[in-house]
Amino acid sequence: MKKIWEHPWGYAEGFVVAAGVLLAGILLQLAAGNIETALFASPVNTIIGALFIAGLPGVHFLFGKKRVTRWLSSVYATIPALATLLLLAMILGLIPQFAAGTPAEQLPSHPFTSLGWYRMTTSWPFVLLCFYNLTILGLTILRRSIRKQTWRDIGFYLNHLGLFIALLGGILGSADMERLTMTIQEGQVEWRGSLQTGEIKELPLAIQLDTFMIEEYEPKLVIVENETGKMLPASRPESYMFEGVGKTTQLAGVTLTITDYLPHAAIFRDSTFMNVVPMMMEGATTALKVKVNKPGLAQPVEGWVSNGSYLFPHIFLQIDDETSVAMPVQEVKKYSSHVTVFTESGITKEAVIEVNKPLQVEDWMIYQYSYDDTKGKYSNTSVFELVRDPWVKGVYTGIIMLLAGALFLFIAGPKKKAS
Amino acid sequence: MTWDSFIYFAIISVLLWSSGAALAYVCKRKRWPALLTAAGLIVFSIFIAGLWMSLERPPLRTMGETRLWYSFFLPVAGLLTYLRWNYKWILSFTTVLSTVFIIVNIVKPDIHDKALMPALQSPWFAPHVIIYMFSYAILGAATLVAIYYLVREKKINNKAKLMEMTDSLVYAGIACITLGMLIGAIWAKIAWGHYWSWDPKETWAAATWIGYLLYIHYRLKKSSSDKTSMILLIIAFILLQICWYGVNYLPSAQQSIHTYSS
Repeated sequence: MKKIWEHPWGYAEGFVVAAGVLLAGILLQLAAGNIETALFASPVNTIIGALFIAGLPGVHFLFGKKRVTRWLSSVYATIPALATLLLLAMILGLIPQFAAGTPAEQLPSHPFTSLGWYRMTTSWPFVLLCFYNLTILGLTILRRSIRKQTWRDIGFYLNHLGLFIALLGGILGSADMERLTMTIQEGQVEWRGSLQTGEIKELPLAIQLDTFMIEEYEPKLVIVENETGKMLPASRPESYMFEGVGKTTQLAGVTLTITDYLPHAAIFRDSTFMNVVPMMMEGATTALKVKVNKPGLAQPVEGWVSNGSYLFPHIFLQIDDETSVAMPVQEVKKYSSHVTVFTESGITKEAVIEVNKPLQVEDWMIYQYSYDDTKGKYSNTSVFELVRDPWVKGVYTGIIMLLAGALFLFIAGPKKKAS
Repeated sequence: MTWDSFIYFAIISVLLWSSGAALAYVCKRKRWPALLTAAGLIVFSIFIAGLWMSLERPPLRTMGETRLWYSFFLPVAGLLTYLRWNYKWILSFTTVLSTVFIIVNIVKPDIHDKALMPALQSPWFAPHVIIYMFSYAILGAATLVAIYYLVREKKINNKAKLMEMTDSLVYAGIACITLGMLIGAIWAKIAWGHYWSWDPKETWAAATWIGYLLYIHYRLKKSSSDKTSMILLIIAFILLQICWYGVNYLPSAQQSIHTYSS
């Protein structure tokens, strides 16, 4: 039996070294707290990246023959390093995370805070382990490059170099990433955005919101319990989406017939009287007239149901002592902003921005982010998110290599073992 | 076609898959087991296509809808494995697991409606989820092999062949989860502004990915123990389950932007 630290090193040494990296990370974390991402903004991240990329071949050429370097580029170092990173990833996946900029006094007073677990991705142990894994990955690629190449090496390089590029670019690039939100009212121009911390920043571009539009899905009807307001049947709540006047449906043991539909309605109501009339106006609500029947009911109940708006109240239609018909707030199908964007360099661009359809202007991406949800479909305010990530092209290069590598892996399969 | 007719399609499919699986033990040739399994898959896919049309959106939004795809892809993985590796027991394993997920969908259905929130209205939506579900099914098949191995370790004659098959399944599976994850990353950049946000679902996807990387790298050494490899596979599959639905029950899930069930 070989003793620990006796060459050649194996898994045992791998776990000890990975644990050492973890311990170093924990000590740094206790001493210095979370990593301040802003300190690594360009050019610091570029310098670190350059040193790292230059350092790996340096180590490889100077000490490549050394047993420790050979071990570092072997499965014996890889598996413990990955397993330790997996451990931290699991903690990250279990514990609710706080935004990177959260002040320390707002974090729970718990040992987890000192260990950096509430902001894992900027904690020393996590980042050091990422770099330890990257080191192993880099040295493995270099060691592989000096042996006789076969067609299978294509898959190896696509996967390993792709991962190296994507990870290094992603980690270093996160320090240069800018994300701001911008709230604009129809007809207005805005060039200031707010950071996550609430800080306001002026941007090199201005957005004019020409129009903002929301499309909604058809209204839905549900049966609710009067006492609790819960949807029925309790075990599996059902809903019915409006398909046209005259349609009949079964919902939670109740027969519903739609007898009238007003997409734009106004509701006038006092203690004894209620009138629902069609009205094309801002703040108008959706109303459905339904006839309800159910076993045990003396005669069918008929009346209006509405989900209200910021101007008008909800209307429920009471069926009996236990149940009513209700209309939940309509779900949003699509929202879009027609904008004109102006940049400092004199570019003017007109475009429509939607969720999943961002607009690129110079090195900024403009995303449809939100709207004034208190006003629902009558919102004339649109909220955008503006993102600048100068490293994204590098990360995409890595991602594309990895995609090709995955296809390679799928087609080529595992290497046949000589048995 | 709506969920109300699911039970009929499911019963016919399960009957076809079961008879295919049973015949695999009896028949010397692979034709009948393969044809019956394929027939079951056709019946099942007719239901998926009909549901897709009636919902007017890809049926991939709710947990129940992902289970539907999983129940479909498991016999696909079983059939491919059977045709390639000749193991007669694999069809019955995948049929049983698929049936479990079908029963879950019948007993505990989700609320299904046509609404698809704007974030999901994207050409990346269907490939992202379908590739993931396919990989989950292949890796599910690999896990069934691992369980088979661990239970019957002493009685297995040709362990090398079984390990070779497991490697093939895992390579195909991790290739697909890599594709699914990266398609998700590209989509996230377009929809949410960043390709990776450490959302709980993303974190567990990364953990699952690392889990299978551990298996693949461990297996590279000729001295690796088959038993440890199989245990690694089961651990990785547990991570996968957390990623798929377990994450919804974790304290971190309150912040997830990956929640779409009603």
